[in-house]
Amino acid sequence: MTDAREPDAVFGVETIDLDLPLLVGALSRRLHEAGLRITPARAADFARALTLVRPIARRRLYWTARSVFVSDPVQVNAFDAVFVSVFGNGGRGEELEPEDARTVASAPDHRPESERNVARGGSEPPDGVPSPRTGERDAEEDQAEVEVPLALASDEERLRSRSFDALEPHELAELYRLMSRLELATPRRLTRRYEKGRHGEHIDLRRTLRASLRTGGDPIRLARRHRRVARRRLVMLCDISGSMEPYARAYLQFLTCAAGSGPNAEAFVFATRLTRLTRALASRSPERAIQRAAAAAPDWSSGTRIGDALKEFNDRHGRRGMARGAVIVILSDGWERGDPMLVGREMERLARLAHRIVWVNPRVGAGGFSVQSGGMLAALPHCDALVSGHNFQALTEVADVIGQELRSRRGSPAAAVEADGEEPWASATPVQGSSVAMPSGHGPSRGRTTPGWVTDDAE
Amino acid sequence: MSPREVTGEAAGEIRQLVPDIETLARRMADVDYLVDEGLATSMFLSLRLPQPLLLEGEAGVGKTEAGKSLALVLDTPLIRLQCYDGIDAAEALYEWNYPRQLLSIRLADSRGETLGEEELFGPNYLIRRPLLRALEHPGPRPAVLLVDEIDRADDDFEAFLLELLAEASVTIPELGTIRATHPPIIVLTSNRTRDLHDAVKRRCLYHWIPYPTPEREVEIVRRRVKGSSETLAVQVANAVSRMRDSDVQKPPGIAESIDWLAALSLLGVERLDAAAVDLTLGSVLKYGEDQEVIRAAGLEQLVPGGD
Repeated sequence: MTDAREPDAVFGVETIDLDLPLLVGALSRRLHEAGLRITPARAADFARALTLVRPIARRRLYWTARSVFVSDPVQVNAFDAVFVSVFGNGGRGEELEPEDARTVASAPDHRPESERNVARGGSEPPDGVPSPRTGERDAEEDQAEVEVPLALASDEERLRSRSFDALEPHELAELYRLMSRLELATPRRLTRRYEKGRHGEHIDLRRTLRASLRTGGDPIRLARRHRRVARRRLVMLCDISGSMEPYARAYLQFLTCAAGSGPNAEAFVFATRLTRLTRALASRSPERAIQRAAAAAPDWSSGTRIGDALKEFNDRHGRRGMARGAVIVILSDGWERGDPMLVGREMERLARLAHRIVWVNPRVGAGGFSVQSGGMLAALPHCDALVSGHNFQALTEVADVIGQELRSRRGSPAAAVEADGEEPWASATPVQGSSVAMPSGHGPSRGRTTPGWVTDDAE
Repeated sequence: MSPREVTGEAAGEIRQLVPDIETLARRMADVDYLVDEGLATSMFLSLRLPQPLLLEGEAGVGKTEAGKSLALVLDTPLIRLQCYDGIDAAEALYEWNYPRQLLSIRLADSRGETLGEEELFGPNYLIRRPLLRALEHPGPRPAVLLVDEIDRADDDFEAFLLELLAEASVTIPELGTIRATHPPIIVLTSNRTRDLHDAVKRRCLYHWIPYPTPEREVEIVRRRVKGSSETLAVQVANAVSRMRDSDVQKPPGIAESIDWLAALSLLGVERLDAAAVDLTLGSVLKYGEDQEVIRAAGLEQLVPGGD
């Protein structure tokens, strides 16, 4: 590879032997600035790799550095930009001004981007870095607490039924506290692992044999084991388009709580495109998580393309396993700019993968709601439940629906009464005072929420 | 040079087999696995640093094959650990052969002998699972340990695996510590069904295997389907490349191209036409919807002279 143009090259290839520490240092630092995770160990690996690989050409150097530093395909763009800024582009395609390349050309990785955006906005450094401004943030939080000195019971009651689109900023802060108390537990599933249990259905040979040694080799007492249970994955997809704007902030808080509820939760937002927020939300400070999330999604309050977003989710994440056996929660009003047919088709695909799909539509809470938006109509046959979730009270219902165990409800009188309604999804009826008018022929056709035992129990 | 560097004979042999990146690439080609410079560099570094290599890419781009071919190049056994949901130490590392132990106890009993615990928990009754086999591999060169689809195992297993690999030794309470004399060469593959833990990524070299260019794909599929005509291979590669660009759920990988070419060759097809595509579409596209999409767009689009 020949390098005709090399005005920005900091290090010539021939001087690498001499400038090794300098080279490693410079590249590592630039990569770190660009948001890649560079540890000293990584830098040391790179130095060692360079002694093994004679970087006779820029291409060789490129692949060596990339093998060591890049650990995710989304980092490749950022890495390329930094590499070009340090070593020139040597005919690798686009002519990038080094400075621009470093700050503008960014990976589709949301985390570094958001971190950088936020950092540029002057608020928070990337997580893990001790911040000199921590004190200030504490002060801000204190301030928030001064505004809402005490969560009086009546205040809390009022807040519980207050619609999300009419919240004051200080109420949002209080709401977060309420939300974080919500228990978002998905139904359980059997894993392939075993654990010991007295009434397990399988014999634990290892422990049986151990015990038999004590009784002269006769396995008198059979030790048992059973399959371990684990919680299903929770995947939340939140609409942040213009029509959902009044609810977006509250729902983002909800997403943060959900993402913090366990390692098995994933969060996405969408308007015109899909953005994965799981990493951005993984922060102990909710305020910071929300800031990062806000910076990560570029399409706030724009148009809605639910079908495209669902398709992207299915193609990139769902099919690979994220949606398999998971509980999917979609928070959207179902106002679709694109083709409702696509929404229907992608919902069908999703329904085949997921354990259950819960659609949270804040418009359901509004009086006289009827399903009119095309997207909602198309999606409905594939949803297991439609809930309103327009205020905190309604969100607790969402939490209930998420946690519903389809089969373990047998025998619970409350559940039996609840499921007594004729509507197959009566269990997911929205909060009192709101009504869901369903056009005939558009009830959910998935049988899974209608367990056949209802009649058995009634007798 | 570094504490992790393997010393002695094994390292010498590997250095001799793979003195530089070009040699590695050539040797991989000799076993019919074509590598580009990026993958060759990653593999070379992984062998020589040494450090585990994490390969990611769409399904069917040859991640598993890369590990297998590496074992062939080094002329060393390939030990494969296929991960799945719920895999645990008993299935990955070792387990005692309980039925055999119980039988032996009964047998000894009937003969009036006593069977001591040391005998009962000796090497004879140990079932060696892939990880233990990789650690115990006697050499002369380290075995290649292929941890396939690690993203399907759960987080606990990931942590367990890391610990084991970092230590290159395992302690079996009844037997004591088994230390690897030749720590295995580790290749991990992932389909990205979930993000791997950062701790895993930090310890590994990483390479994303992209789809090959059509020209490269022709070379690859012709090496795999012996005796196939070049014309047909070119047409298959082009058609597959168009399918990948179209709106299908599961874009066909190299594995599908190979299957397709093999199917076409078997049927005696010499030149790809719409009728031949129609008959054999099931060997490239495994989803009914995908076949519909491609059929709706017109099968002629896929064959030369179409468009």
